[in-house]
Amino acid sequence: MTQTVPGRHRAAAIARKVAGHVVRGLVMIWAVATISFVIIREIPGNPVLGQYESLIQKGMSPEQAERATAVLYGFLPTGNLWQQYVGYLGSLLHFDLGRSLSTPGVEVTTLIGHAARWTVLPVLAGTLLSFLLGVTMGVYAAIKRSGRLGDALALSGSLLHGVPVYVIGLLLTAIFATLWPIMPSGGPVDVEFVPGLNPGYIGSLVHHAVLPVVTYTLASYGGWILAMKSNVVAVLGDDFILAAELRGLRRGIVFRYLARNAILPLFTILALSIGMLFGGSIFIEQIFNYPGLGLLLVNSISSRDYALMGGTFLVITVGIVVANIVADLLYTVIDPRVRSGGAA
Amino acid sequence: MTAHTATPHAAARDMEAPGVRIRDLTVVYKTPAGELPAVRGVDLTLAPGTITGVVGESGSGKSTLALSLLNAVQPPGRIAAGSVEIDGLGDVLTLRGEDLRRARGREVGYVFQAAQNSLNPLKTIGKQLLDLGRSHDVEDPRALVRDARDLLARMGMDGARVLDSYQHELSGGMRQRVGIMLALVLNAKVVVLDEPTTALDMITQATILRIIREVHEERALTTLVITHDVGAVAEVADDLAVMYGGRVVEHGPVTEVLGDARHPYTRGLIRAIPRLTGDLSLARALPGRPPTLGTLPAQGCVFRERCERRMDICETDDPAAVTHDGRTVACHATGRPLELVGREELV
Amino acid sequence: MTVIVNPAGPPAAPPAETTRATLRRNFWRGVWRVLRRKPSRMAGVVIVVLFALMGVAGPLLYPAQLPRDDNALYAPPSLAHPFGTDFEGTDVLALVITGARYVLLTGLATAVITVALGTVIGLFAGFHRGRWDTVLMRLTDMNLAIPGLPLLLVLSTVWKFESPLEMGLVLGVLGWGGIARAVRSQTLSLRERGFIEAARGLGLPTRHIVGRELLPSMAPYIAMNMLIAVTGAVYAQVGLFFLGVLPFESNNWGVMLNLAVFNGGALTTPAALPYLMAPLIAILLLTLGIVLIVDAMDEIFNPRLREE
Repeated sequence: MTQTVPGRHRAAAIARKVAGHVVRGLVMIWAVATISFVIIREIPGNPVLGQYESLIQKGMSPEQAERATAVLYGFLPTGNLWQQYVGYLGSLLHFDLGRSLSTPGVEVTTLIGHAARWTVLPVLAGTLLSFLLGVTMGVYAAIKRSGRLGDALALSGSLLHGVPVYVIGLLLTAIFATLWPIMPSGGPVDVEFVPGLNPGYIGSLVHHAVLPVVTYTLASYGGWILAMKSNVVAVLGDDFILAAELRGLRRGIVFRYLARNAILPLFTILALSIGMLFGGSIFIEQIFNYPGLGLLLVNSISSRDYALMGGTFLVITVGIVVANIVADLLYTVIDPRVRSGGAA
Repeated sequence: MTAHTATPHAAARDMEAPGVRIRDLTVVYKTPAGELPAVRGVDLTLAPGTITGVVGESGSGKSTLALSLLNAVQPPGRIAAGSVEIDGLGDVLTLRGEDLRRARGREVGYVFQAAQNSLNPLKTIGKQLLDLGRSHDVEDPRALVRDARDLLARMGMDGARVLDSYQHELSGGMRQRVGIMLALVLNAKVVVLDEPTTALDMITQATILRIIREVHEERALTTLVITHDVGAVAEVADDLAVMYGGRVVEHGPVTEVLGDARHPYTRGLIRAIPRLTGDLSLARALPGRPPTLGTLPAQGCVFRERCERRMDICETDDPAAVTHDGRTVACHATGRPLELVGREELV
Repeated sequence: MTVIVNPAGPPAAPPAETTRATLRRNFWRGVWRVLRRKPSRMAGVVIVVLFALMGVAGPLLYPAQLPRDDNALYAPPSLAHPFGTDFEGTDVLALVITGARYVLLTGLATAVITVALGTVIGLFAGFHRGRWDTVLMRLTDMNLAIPGLPLLLVLSTVWKFESPLEMGLVLGVLGWGGIARAVRSQTLSLRERGFIEAARGLGLPTRHIVGRELLPSMAPYIAMNMLIAVTGAVYAQVGLFFLGVLPFESNNWGVMLNLAVFNGGALTTPAALPYLMAPLIAILLLTLGIVLIVDAMDEIFNPRLREE
């Protein structure tokens, strides 16, 4: 194998790309943290100072109150803006997002940790399902593009791609939970089951997850089918596909050449799609009363739990940054043409 | 003929090169203006063991003709009539499905126009070679890889290294040679090369042409080379066919056709070649533009618009191809014996 | 293959003054042909025109205070109330029609801001390249990667987005990234084809190159993106109202969705379903109309997609 030298170049290029992504991701996380901080400070009525004063009124000494408030928000209620900002970033570095007000005394990280699984798993399931479905149907739509079926597939893709996720979610609930109630209308699981590895509990979990996951799937299916269709059409026009046919390659092999070349560019939109689904989780969890990050964010806003709000916003951002890095890494590893990591 | 033996070279020497007979081939393209012929009524015989060059301007139908040899005309094109008989294979145009697929690559090797882009960018050459072997039920992949390495070495490349490379790691000339290797490695006896040297620099061109000639002789092939470069054909071919507007207007041994062209178009084509030695002003471009599908005249000679020897009959009658002394010409002015023309004019 | 199909064009070049007019006439004829070939596209135009009319004239059709009927709360669909009534006995159809103005106005404002920002930034980056390009594209990357909806929610705690214009401004500032990137790559590809260098060589001023050479060739693309931006903005703001994080200043589709789901229990009792369905259908129809128009525009301006 004469791959050692190019192999090392590739590894270096990949490392460089990832490093660039990590730096940009950190900048983005910092920007979002700053926005959260400014907003928490600027909310009318200054909740931080308000908390501090109400604690003093309850009979705490100023120092006690100051410390209690700092535990809550991650920075001291007194002092100038700069000191508070440095204090806030300092506690972020220790993964301390403060404490929740609406669930008194519980650390924000704990609440987010509990909520994250209800978001991450359905989002990943939805991404995977919609990817598989969209790619398959996209190939079909491309091959049958001058027929009625291709037209219908492309139109379904455009429509689903265009329609907002809450419309899909609301329609699905209206049909399958209200008009024809075969699905639960909300919540993550039926309360009568004991949590654990028993069939009743797991069955109920799955039953409750069906509509949210289907909503996630349909929300990003349209993007996949449209992108895949146009990629397949483009690759079909490439010389190497005709060349492969003229060499008498088996249909299955030609199809694999086609599919792999058409799928590869899709990895560049994988990150966008996951980001979109994280955003969509806010609607989906609201509609299905699903206790994930999106619901946590909305509830923290309506209950004025600002530490929780800032923390959830930050974690959602981190999730998107990580998805970006993973998607780009996948693309880089799969595409042999990425040698000298030039344009990132 | 189908089993891939461990010593293809020995086997090759034992075998006769097949002949190829194209008869009355017509290929039409579907356009908004109806179906228009890109190739019309072409008769062409490739003698066993020869290299036949086909020259013509773009739009003359030469690439379509090449694709017809594999029954691979792409939509909106369609083979409307004719036959392509290959010895040991029968009429390629009647082959369908799996039979057709097996014939491609195994019996007829095709080196693609713009072979630079004829490789899958996401797989190494070696893996694509194995795909080819798998598609044609090669029993011994090791032997296949060995043959491929030998072929690449013959063409002046480090076979092992090339097989380990991706397309983007090879230069244009190297990709072209890989394309030739893939067309030959299954021991196909008929090889079609569509513009094998276009887009290559002069030195690489010369190398590729030399390789084609050598491999052709060594393996007893019947070869068809499509090009718009008369100079390239003169170097490599035994026979030369000249295409214009979807017709073969002249066909014969390459030295005779170039030395004593009979069709006015062939003469114009030769005059248009600038010579390295001699006066540049002697090189004259053909007047007018080559026809496209839409501008082809519906009746009469396809070349008459640009012809210096045009006659009244050219407006109405398409000249038939007439073979005389091993040379075929389709022209009212030169195709017939002079006395015949004279007598008709008297009547 | 080397077969070149000659598009049966006029053999001789027409006189210079008539070229533009001829081109324009040919263009409209092309539009008409594309629309006629698939009647669904005509439907798209009709739908969007209807919505525009609704936005302009809708509120004029009804009194400022919509009538209530205390005897018909959540009334089922009937001739008088095609989509039934809401919790106060107000006609749902009237709510949808009068609510369209706020929704569409926001959409329009957002689209204008998005397209203007995106085009200027993309053109600037692609035209000047170099350091400007790097900086602007980093900015664009950030803009694209920022989780827009969560950010909007967080912003809603300090900013109440009182007028459609204010809302449009925020949505526009958040959403220009995609267009900027696309316009930049179009500019670069035009540059690669020698457009800019040729114009420079002729001594044309930058203003002329951008205004007369670059923008017109990108205009269809920008127009399509603008339509898509309208839908994006409509969804975002309806969504924000649906989530209930914005104060209900005026009647609009998002408010209807919110009240239907969280007050009317439309997801548990079928009685409030028509109330929920009406705004949903309005959104679906608007999407359908715009998708069909974009599809038609794509074919008009992207001749490669035309199939024989």
